[in-house]
Amino acid sequence: MTFRLLFFAAFLLAPAALRAAADLPALWAERVKCVVSVEYVTETETERRPTISMGTVIDTRGTIIIPSGAIDPRAATWQLKDFKVYLPGDAASSPAEYLGQDAFSGWHFVRAGETTRAKLTPVTVFAGQGASPVPALAEFVWGIGLRNKDEDFAPYIMQSHVALIQSLPQRTAIAQHEVAGPGLPVFNRDGVLIGIAATSFGQSFLQFSRRNRGDPVLLVNVEESSAFMLAEEILPNLGRIPKHVSGRPLAWLGAYGLEPMDRDVAKFLKLEAQSGAVVSEVLEGSPAEKAGLKDRDIILALDGKPLPSLKPERVVVTWLEREIDRRVPGDTFALTVLRGSARVELKAVLGEEPKLLREADRKYYDRLGFTAREFVYGDAIERRVKAAEPSGVVAHFVKPSSPAAIAGLRQDDWIKEIDGAEATSFTVVAAKLAEIETDQARAEFVLLVSRSGETAVLRIKLK
Amino acid sequence: MKRGFKQLLESVVKIDVREVAFEAGTKRFTGGIGSGVILSADGLVLTNAHVASPRAVEINVTLANLERVSAKLVGWDHWTDLALLRIDLVEVKRRSLKFSHADLGESGKLFPGQEVFAVGTPHGLTRTVTRGIISNNNRYFEDTRGVNGYETGTFNTWLQTDAAINPGNSGGPLVTNDGKVIGISSRTYLGANNLGFAIPSSTAQRVVAGMLREGGGITRSYIGIVPKELQDLENFYSLALNTGMLINSVEPGSPAAKAGLRSGDILLTLNGASIDGRFPEQLPPIQNLIANQPVGASLKLTVKRGTETRDYAVVTEKLESRVGEEWALEKWGLSVRKVSRAYARENQLDDASGVVVIGVQPGFPAAAAGVSRGDIITKINDQLVLSLDVIKAAQAAYETKPEPTLFEVQRNRRVSLYILKP
Repeated sequence: MTFRLLFFAAFLLAPAALRAAADLPALWAERVKCVVSVEYVTETETERRPTISMGTVIDTRGTIIIPSGAIDPRAATWQLKDFKVYLPGDAASSPAEYLGQDAFSGWHFVRAGETTRAKLTPVTVFAGQGASPVPALAEFVWGIGLRNKDEDFAPYIMQSHVALIQSLPQRTAIAQHEVAGPGLPVFNRDGVLIGIAATSFGQSFLQFSRRNRGDPVLLVNVEESSAFMLAEEILPNLGRIPKHVSGRPLAWLGAYGLEPMDRDVAKFLKLEAQSGAVVSEVLEGSPAEKAGLKDRDIILALDGKPLPSLKPERVVVTWLEREIDRRVPGDTFALTVLRGSARVELKAVLGEEPKLLREADRKYYDRLGFTAREFVYGDAIERRVKAAEPSGVVAHFVKPSSPAAIAGLRQDDWIKEIDGAEATSFTVVAAKLAEIETDQARAEFVLLVSRSGETAVLRIKLK
Repeated sequence: MKRGFKQLLESVVKIDVREVAFEAGTKRFTGGIGSGVILSADGLVLTNAHVASPRAVEINVTLANLERVSAKLVGWDHWTDLALLRIDLVEVKRRSLKFSHADLGESGKLFPGQEVFAVGTPHGLTRTVTRGIISNNNRYFEDTRGVNGYETGTFNTWLQTDAAINPGNSGGPLVTNDGKVIGISSRTYLGANNLGFAIPSSTAQRVVAGMLREGGGITRSYIGIVPKELQDLENFYSLALNTGMLINSVEPGSPAAKAGLRSGDILLTLNGASIDGRFPEQLPPIQNLIANQPVGASLKLTVKRGTETRDYAVVTEKLESRVGEEWALEKWGLSVRKVSRAYARENQLDDASGVVVIGVQPGFPAAAAGVSRGDIITKINDQLVLSLDVIKAAQAAYETKPEPTLFEVQRNRRVSLYILKP
């Protein structure tokens, strides 16, 4: 009897176990073709800084997405050079092209060269039929990781189980352990794409040493992540490849410093379970100002739809920002705000985002030892001055031990005068600095700079 | 030793101060020890502003004969780090106590190398005399947070000495061998040896007279220019040597800014008197010249900008510290400090309304709601926080009837709403 029962059990279990052992490696072997490593160089005034990140192939034209954090937002697009794609486990690279960043999804898009494309499989092939599957709690999930360059980006498998699904505001699953490299896909047991790993979250640890008894430290795993955005957040946005490397057009509202309203405040204002965001400041000349939005208005609804209640409360701000980024300049949308105790309905027409820091004109003067950068709208906001009357330039970079550095110029100093003449525009400044730089007889020049509200006269000695 | 020196020794006192601190969301009492010197038969004691401040709740003076007597703060000036106490004369009479007093000497006649003595209570060791020389008789330095967070050094230069000065010496006299007080020992460089600094008696004389005249603090005028020495820049500005002073910065919203002055301007004359700010040591007298003008007076400043020279009329304001009045709202576990005009300017705030949070106590309503250090509370329920009284009244109302209270708070330029609830 015992023999028969055991035999029976073995008969039932064997096929499942065999299938698991046999086909996961097969699924892996197919899907490893939709991941790559992307390397590029950021060229600064004095150095070339290489960066490597992981990316997922999204179409047959060799388009690859890499996470938003992979590229420094301060870097101008022309500083980003020598994009290269490496296949997993292959030391050889092939050139690639940078296509720009999509503001809504945050992804940077890169396109692999023609020769490489044939070796790649778009991740969409594994997307499954119909609606994207949402993993259940405790469901088995797996993904791909890539080793470092010195190991030829060797691919490896990671497996885990879903622990939690949250709206941040994108629907994000958090697995028990690391499940994929950030930017790389995550699959279910059947090999269907269920998400792409986000940058991993920090984890708190206590660090013990001979001297310290339990100092709290926050650790972030940069090579592997346990959080992934669900496929339903990914697949509809894969078509958002920027038409221009600048990422423009960029929608702009101009409501600065959105701060979440917590449940206690909502209750106090008799809004009960309503979510909301306080507008700290309405920027001058912005679409928000034209729409009649005022400082300290509380945004309650967008196009008649109440703001969602999300946790942590900060997430509602990201949600609102994404609702703007999703749109294009010229789009109209309705805002319901609480002003004092009255509800006010406003209509805003989104504008084009003013010139960004990374788009500002700039020029490096090696003999003087600094880079002058055009003063843009964001600079005016940061320095709390009227954007309508900007003047001067910003010291974008100061070379250590250069004449400018010795005179006391620091990065982000606002240069308002050169040799007593007002720095009216970038063009005027650039011409003036070029003249000083080429004049070998010149022994010194004087800058008037402003730093956190205080100004100082700096004397830069060239000889 | 001369006879005067013995008399001096009998005039030096140890000062014990108990003061209230508001930083941690509650009132706390701390104690400190310093030194001082009795200046008159009616019991005036000169010490440092960082030894005895308006936050003091109890001041005790130990006389040279070891008798202890209470004292009160009668004058305080953090700009020159000087404070004036008065010994409780009723108590002195009742207990038939005796004390001596010292005379101020002329600090202007000191020369580097001259022998001086520091007398005081280093680390609580009473009646300690140390010897040294004047190392420099005209040292310039400013410290924006030098006196317990208050600005100091703008209006005076310092005497530098190698006589040992240690914590507790503060407020004690620096004297010549005839016992004349030529300075008040104030500070040293931490981590350095024998670099001590004292406020010259010439400054002390002026400040004490002002305190007695005004009955407390010293009123100074302010126009909002930050001066800098012209050293080496005369050629660039095409100036004759020893003429003018560089206006390095003009504080936004200040009288000078309103009058149209700009940084990079050169100040040539003030009310007709020519200005020479070639070296840093020359700046405090110029600052004093401005400070000594009456508040609300119109000053005529002759200023050179580029090749042009013209006059500007600047109306003075009363000089204020960046540090405003402090208070602890203990029911909420919240310590606040009034936003001063100077603080508002420094942080580019629209105006001087609101109070800055300087501390919260964990587990109390303010901390629980999310208020944190550095926030500026601008509004409580529907009321703008224009003074400390507004927030004190709000807490009193909360105390009698604990109800959720709405706070509007600014952090950098971000506005948040919080509810403080019982």
